[in-house]
Parts: sequence; structure tokens; C-alpha cells
Amino acid sequence: MTPQTRTVAASTLSASKVYGSGDDAVYALNDVSVEFFAGEFTAIMGPSGSGKSTLMHCIAGLDELSSGSAIIDGTDLSTMKDKALTELRREKIGFVFQSFNLVPTLTADENIRLPLMLGNDKGNEEWIQKVISTVHLNDRLTHRPSELSGGQQQRVAVARALASEPRIIFADEPTGNLDSTTGAEILTFMRKAVDDLGQTIVMVTHDPVAASYADRIIFLADGKVVNEMTEPTAEKVLDLMKTIGH
Amino acid sequence: MFRIAIKGILGRKARLILTSLAVILGTSFLAGTSVFSDTLTRTFDNLFSDVFKNVDAYVRSSQVIEADFGQEERQRIPLSLVDIVKTVPGVKNAVPDIQAFARIIGKDGKPIGSDGQGPPTFGTIGVEFEGALWTIADGEFPVGPTQVALDEASAKAGKYVLGDTVKVVAQSGSREFTLVGIASYGDVRSPGGATFALFDPATAADFLTKPGFIDAVLITGDGSVSDAKLAKAIQAALPTTDKTETLTGAEITLETQDQIGSALDFFGILLKTFSFIALGVGCFVIYNVFSISAAQRQRENALLRAIGASRSQVTRAMLIESLAVGVFGSMIGLVAGIGLSKGLSALLRALNIDIPSGGLVVTTSTVQQTVFVGTIVTVLSAILPALRAGKVPPLAAMRATALEVSEPGRKRLIGGLISIALGLAVIVMVIVGASNSYLGFGILLVFIGTIVLGPIIARPVALFLGRPAARFRGITGVMARQNSARNPKRTSRTASPVLIGVALVTAVTALAASIKGQIDDVFTQQFKGDYAISTNNRGFGGLSPSLATDIAQLPLVEGATGIGLVTAKLDGKGQYLTSIAPETIEGIWNIGLIDAAYSDLATDSIFISEKIAKKKSFTEGSTISAIFADGQSRTLTVSGIYINNEIGDYILNKGLIASTSVVTFDIGVYIKSRPGSDQKEVLASLTAAVKKYGQGDLLTKQQYIDKQSGQVNQLLGLIYGLLMLSVIISIVGIIITLLLSVFERQRELALLRAVGMTRSQVRTTVRWESVITSLLGAVMGIVLGIGLGWVIVFALKDQGLTSFKLPVTPTIVIMIMSFIVGLFAAIYPAWRATRVNILDSLNTN
Repeated sequence: MTPQTRTVAASTLSASKVYGSGDDAVYALNDVSVEFFAGEFTAIMGPSGSGKSTLMHCIAGLDELSSGSAIIDGTDLSTMKDKALTELRREKIGFVFQSFNLVPTLTADENIRLPLMLGNDKGNEEWIQKVISTVHLNDRLTHRPSELSGGQQQRVAVARALASEPRIIFADEPTGNLDSTTGAEILTFMRKAVDDLGQTIVMVTHDPVAASYADRIIFLADGKVVNEMTEPTAEKVLDLMKTIGH
Repeated sequence: MFRIAIKGILGRKARLILTSLAVILGTSFLAGTSVFSDTLTRTFDNLFSDVFKNVDAYVRSSQVIEADFGQEERQRIPLSLVDIVKTVPGVKNAVPDIQAFARIIGKDGKPIGSDGQGPPTFGTIGVEFEGALWTIADGEFPVGPTQVALDEASAKAGKYVLGDTVKVVAQSGSREFTLVGIASYGDVRSPGGATFALFDPATAADFLTKPGFIDAVLITGDGSVSDAKLAKAIQAALPTTDKTETLTGAEITLETQDQIGSALDFFGILLKTFSFIALGVGCFVIYNVFSISAAQRQRENALLRAIGASRSQVTRAMLIESLAVGVFGSMIGLVAGIGLSKGLSALLRALNIDIPSGGLVVTTSTVQQTVFVGTIVTVLSAILPALRAGKVPPLAAMRATALEVSEPGRKRLIGGLISIALGLAVIVMVIVGASNSYLGFGILLVFIGTIVLGPIIARPVALFLGRPAARFRGITGVMARQNSARNPKRTSRTASPVLIGVALVTAVTALAASIKGQIDDVFTQQFKGDYAISTNNRGFGGLSPSLATDIAQLPLVEGATGIGLVTAKLDGKGQYLTSIAPETIEGIWNIGLIDAAYSDLATDSIFISEKIAKKKSFTEGSTISAIFADGQSRTLTVSGIYINNEIGDYILNKGLIASTSVVTFDIGVYIKSRPGSDQKEVLASLTAAVKKYGQGDLLTKQQYIDKQSGQVNQLLGLIYGLLMLSVIISIVGIIITLLLSVFERQRELALLRAVGMTRSQVRTTVRWESVITSLLGAVMGIVLGIGLGWVIVFALKDQGLTSFKLPVTPTIVIMIMSFIVGLFAAIYPAWRATRVNILDSLNTN
């Protein structure tokens, strides 16, 4: 793929996030302009406090920028009210968090369909079945989260993120709480979602191995984009991280 | 640990406030009712010690008949005794006293003061006397048979000014007087809302009671001898044939205060009972809040254990917290309670009951009781949660989730079932024949058992009740249903206060419905007339006996009969007796005589109800000795036994009463119109006849029956009002639990918001959870309440209650109310839930 033919799924333009004001002002994001392309798996990396989570939260409509804009599917989020933002998250965005991804009172199946049900949307049943079989959850659908292992829970979370066929999926350290084998399994599923199902994923991580599953990595430090890498491997990532003082 | 406890309290002010709220509400009612009763008692004490403040001695008849409810009927003494008393050495002045029924009719023709239920309407003697509290504010004391003075408030209410003609109704009928004076009583315009018409002694005796007779003689001494000696000297001077007794001023004051005290005591006990119910309900809320807060602090407590705190230290820290909450909450409750009692006083004043100024009475015992009870109750409610907090394993500090999710165990199931079984066994024993006094114990056991079983019942019932929500409200309904069932212990603890309140309301309603049903049945069957004239002045004035005779003469009336009430000692015990006229009652009242006719009731015989006959093993032909209020005694033969005791358990011939010197009135006149006559005309002629007497309410048969039920409604209203506080506490309980649950589920809410739940969907979820919880309490409460009502109705079988009526409409109303309560309680917690900060909550680990 060449940059010219790629479609932008989400982007920021001069995005800044400032806490405090005047001399005490702290920039979590400082004039960041990035693009995330449809059908790609992008990883955002950076040391703690680099602004990687803030960047993700602002593009995902969970947090507000101080200045600049965040755009998803051609819509500028900064002009949207809470209700519209909520509907945008429900319909166009999928989420996978590090932990506590599922509603404990609902079954795996209900958790997967949660965003659809919240929108009174039946969804595409064929697609949902495909997603469920992709993450190998067919025999776990009636279980509640407390009856599932950590890896199974994250698989349900991935399936939920995919179920509504969102424009883009945001994953915040999705393997952070898992052992390496289970983590690899989840990352494989995410990779498959991009390759086989044509999904768009943006993942925040500080794990070079996890990042190596991505098509492209954006490096952040002190609220700024400092580097970018395509076709990464764990070694290349580690080498680069040493140079930017991770 | 003490410092940790204090830090813990101060660190979580919101929780402190929530926990305290339950304590505050519970104790405020306790303090409020206590202050209110004390104030009322003090007020009346002052009022009545004032009445006889300047009286040194008091002469009255020694002949008295005491009946139920502390009512007594004392014989009267001759007016002539006043002159004898005046001659006794040491007596400065003596005046006659009468307190009797007299009703002032306003200028608009309407009687002043409310009929029956309100404060009494008095006729009394008004004379210049240094020992009396009555003074003339305007004009002069009445002299002669045509003059009257009125208390200030009554004159104002009747729009009367000096010189006006005032119509007054008394036992002897109605008369017109000229208003010559406006009287005031101490510093109030009208004591306790009562109305007073004042006459000169002879007029008072003639018009109010019996010519030449008075209630008592009020005496002032000249100070030469002590009151005790004076009383003795007076008693010695009076003829023994007049059967008098002489009391000192102090003695009569004390006696009056005691009488008022016992009447107020009943009221006080009623208030106190319901305030303790409210406090009991509050206990559940306190217990619930401490349980939830112990669960939420599990990790904090585990950390304390991990770094070396002992079990008992963790438990103690929590108990210290509860102690602080108890003291803090009770003190605020005390202040709130004083405010509440002010509200009650204002309410009385709005009902036109003038309470003399003097301020609220806050006794040390009220303060001690409120703070003590409030604190103890709080600490006791916290013991179980505190013990549980101590049991937290140190390892829990490392666990990711720290939620209260333990499943209800077998012990709970067995304990609950045993308690219910024991309770039912006791109730069955009572039904089979054991004393009714065990009933309360049985009921209590069933209640405890149900509450113990609560967590087990809660899950399936909540899931069942949540079905409609899940079906019609989509995913939000599904989640609300799951949330209400996810922690059965918490849900059941939250629903328990609702359960108790609803059970009591339902039981009382069922009882009232049964009583009303009974009244309907009985009066429809027994009362064969078309109209009734009733009065509410039972035992204190009533309808003139000539009313019935007058009405019987009307051309459109086939028959009219009066029924009277008289007190007498039967075989040594004071009783209310019903007096009838056998010759006119036939065909109007059917009392269900067994093998007897009204004509069998001679002037030396008595009819008794089947219930009394069984209880005292009387048969026809048995004899009973009767002593009347004037001291005359008779031997009466039982000449008939009857089934329907609605009009009383003993029935005498009016001719018998006429042969004594006892004065009676009718409490009701019952009328049958001539068949085929135009009811409009009948009503018009009856209305005219009743108007002439200026007393009694003319009612159609249906109105009369409704009026009987209406009295039940009034009592029902009072009890509902008193149960309101329990209901308020239940609502607060739901609010607190929901708030704590919302707080606990912050991450879950944040997640839901992140994946696309709108704020209004969040509100819906919380709202339905609240409704399901409230309905859970209501359903269990209704089941328990109906059972309870049935048992009480059964226990009252002896009191003549025969059939249990299911209160269908009220039950539906209670369900709807619970639904609304659920919606209402959810407002604030639902709003809080929408304010959850998504990012902060998701990032907390």
C-alpha cells in the first residue's frame, strides 16, 4: 500500500491538551497531527507520561482537546455534545481496555452485543457469528465474565469491539494484564481482524513485542510525535526506543 | 486504631453524612414525639392546676361509677349545699360549679366547634369568685335565666357582640339568651379549643343538668386553718345523706392532672410505638450502610491487616466509627425532632386547638433517651458488619476485585425456615385456642424468619419482578434486572424497610377493610329503618329524649325510636348499658333475639348479648344486680339473649331508667318512614323537626352506615400518617444503597459510557433497579401484611369481627405507590451515575 491510496479513518490536527495555565501549564499533547489509516493496525508507543493514552482518549471521544481537532470518519469531535459523542462511540468506535472490559452481570454473548443493544440495533448477525468464531468463543457465550479466564475475557472484549463493525477500534494496553502466551493469542486475533476482516485498529502499548504485531508504530515523547516506523519487529522497536530514551 | 478510625470518618464525609441520615431520621421522630407529648402534658397540667389554683377545698358527690376507658359518671349534689358550706368557720367564699354539655349556635345557625371529634363544648357557671379563672373581659357576669356569657374565641367564631341573642343547646333542649359578657380563661381565649357558655348558678342547673343540682362546690378559705382542716370541717358540716366528699385544692388538682395525664398517655404511647417502628426500620438502613461500606473498604482493611493490625483492631475501628456516627446522628436527630414537634404544634393550632403559650418542653430525659437510644441502635447495627470487616484475610489486599458477593448459605435457609415454622406454630396454637397475647410473638417470629430468608428469596423474586423491565426496556432493563439480583443480601436489606412498612400498612388496611365490611353487613341486616339521627357526643350530652317522640308523631313517619346510653355498676363493675323503648323499637332494629321478643323487656329485666351470656354463663332467668349513678340499686332478671351486639352488650328498658333519678340522653334516633311516601317530603319534615332541637345529624340509612365506616377511616388515616416516617426512612434507605452501589460500580458505569451508553440510558438502568428493589419489598410486605391482617382479624373474632375482607384496591394502590417510591428514590443516585468521569474511573486500578 502506498500513502496515496490509503483512506484516513481518524486523524488529529494540531491537537494539544494542556493541564493548568500560565507558567504551571503542562502539555500532555503538544501540537500533534497524526493520521490513522483504514484497514491498518497502528500502535502508539512512548514512555509513561508521553501522552500516548491522552492522544487515544481524545481521538476516541473520551476526552476533550484544549485546542486543535480530532476527526473520525470526517467528523470533528470538538463540536459534538455528550449525546452525539456517546452515539459516535457506540456506532463508529470499538474499545478494548487493559482490564475490567466486561459488565459482570451480562453473559459473554450479551457483552459482545452490548453496544448494538444500547443502540437498539440488531446488527449484522452473519458478521457477529464470524467474529465469534474468529475469537473462538462459540462454547463460552452463555458464561458470565467471572466464569471466564483473563484471556477469554479479553477475547470477549475484542469480539465486542468488532461486533458493531466500527470504523475504528481503540485498544489500550489490551495485553497488559495477560501472560505472554495469552497476550500473543489476543494480538493474533487483532491481527486477524485487520487482515481477514478488514478492520482498523489503533493500539496503545509500551510492550515492543505487542507493538511488533502492528503495521505501523507512532512514537510519542513529551506530548509530541517523535518517530514513526513501518513493518516493525520487536528488535527494531527496542533499538529505536533506546535512542529516544525510553 | 482510634486515630485511624477518626481519620477514616473524616476522610469520607459523604459516607458519614449518608450513614448519619438514617440515624437522624430515626431519632428525630423519637425526639419529636417525646417533646410533643411532654409539651402537651405540661400544657394541660398547667391548665388544670390553674383551674383550681385558688381553690382551697372542693365538695362533690362520693357516688361514682367508673366505666371503661377511664370514663366516670359522678352523681350530682344539691345546690343548697353551697349555703351550708358558707357557714363553716374558716370558709371565706363558696360557689357552685357545673361542667356540662352545651353547644353554642352561631349567628349563621351552625353550631360552633367541630361535631364530636373536636374539643368538648361546655356549659358552666360564671360567677364573681376569687378562686375561679373565669374573668369578664368585656361586659358582666350573667344574672338570671336569660343571660349568658361566652368565652372570647366562641363569641368571635359565632360573630356575637354584647346584647346579641345567642342560641344554646343543652341537655334540656335549646334556649335563647342575651349575651351580657365576654369571658376569658386565664391567659387564653379558649382553653384547648373547647367552647364555653357561662350562666348564673340556678340557670346553669336548670338548663344544663337538673334543676337544683350542681357538680361541685368550690371553696376559698380565709386562711385561718390549713386546707386539710378546712376540708375536714366542711365535710363534717354536710348532711351524710347527701353522700359527699370534700377534697383539698391540691388533691383535686392532682386528680385532674392524673386524668388528663392518662388520656394523653394513650396518645403518647401511640406516638412512641410508631416512632420505635420507624427507628427499627432505620436500623436496617444503618446495618445496610455499614455492611456496604465494610465491603467497599475490604481492600483498605486487608491492607491494615497485612501491615499488622489485628482482627479486633479492624473491628474496633469500625465500631468507633459507628459510635461517632451514632452520637453525631442522634444529636442532629434531637435538634431535628424539636423542629418536628414545633411542626406538630403548628398543625394543632391550624386545627383550631389553642395551646396556651409556654414553649416546647425539652426534658433531660428526652435528650438522654434520644442520644442514648440513637447511639446504641447505631452501634448494635454496626456490630455484624464490623465483625465481618475484621475477618477480611490480609491477602484480599492483593486481589483485584473486592466486592460483597458471598452467596446466602444453608445456615440462613435453615434459621429462617425454623423461625417462620415456630412463628406459624405459635399462631396456629392461638387459632386453636391459646391466649391471643402470644399472637404478637408468633407474628414477630414470622417477620424475623422472612427477613432472614430475604437474601434467598430476593434473587428469584427480583429476577421475576424485573422481567417486564428486561422485556420492554431493552438492554438497560436487562441490566437493571441483573443489578437488582446481583447482590441478593444487599437488595434484601434495602427492601426490608419497605417490607416492614408495607406489611404494616397492608395489615392495618386489611383489618380496616374487614371492620368496614362488617359494619356494612351488620347495619344493613340489623337496621331496618330509613333514617337515623346521630350525635357524636357520646357519654357527654346527646339527643333530647323528646326528639324521638316528636318525630314519631310526624304524619309521614311510621315509627321512630331513641336509643340511649347510661353507665351503671353491674354486679359491682362499671358498664355502659343501652336503653331502648321496647314498644317503638320493633321493626326498626333487629338485634336477633333468641326465643324472646322486645315485649319481654320489662322495667325489672335486662337483655344481654350472646357473647356476654357465654362469657359469664348467664341464662334466661339469671339475675344481675345493678347500681345506678344516683346510688339506687335494682335486681334485674335476664329476660332475653340476643346475637347482634352492635348497639351494646346490655340492654335495658327506658322505663327502668326513668324510675331512677339518672338523667340520660339518646345517642341515636332511628326512623322508619311510611311505606310509599315521597322520600323528599319525609326528609323535609324530618329536617324541620331536627332543626327545632338544634342537635344531631339527620342521615339516610346509607349515610348512617357510611358514617360508621368513616370513623374507621379516621383511625386509618392517623395510623397511615404515623407509618409515613417508616416509609420516608425506607426511601432514604433505597437512596443511600443506590448511591453506594453507583459509587461501587463506577468502573462498570465508565465502561458502559465508553462503549456507548447514553446518560439517559444510565438513568434508566438505575431507575429500574430502584423500582425492582422497591417492588420486591412491597410484594413481600403485601404477602406478609395480608397474612398478618388475616391473623389479627381471626384473633378479634371475640370482638365480633367475623369475616376477613381482602383489601384489593388498597393493595393495587400500594404496588403503584411502591413503583413511584422506586422512581423517586432513584432520581439523585441516577443523576450521580451519569456524572461518573469515564477516564478517571477507567484508569483507577
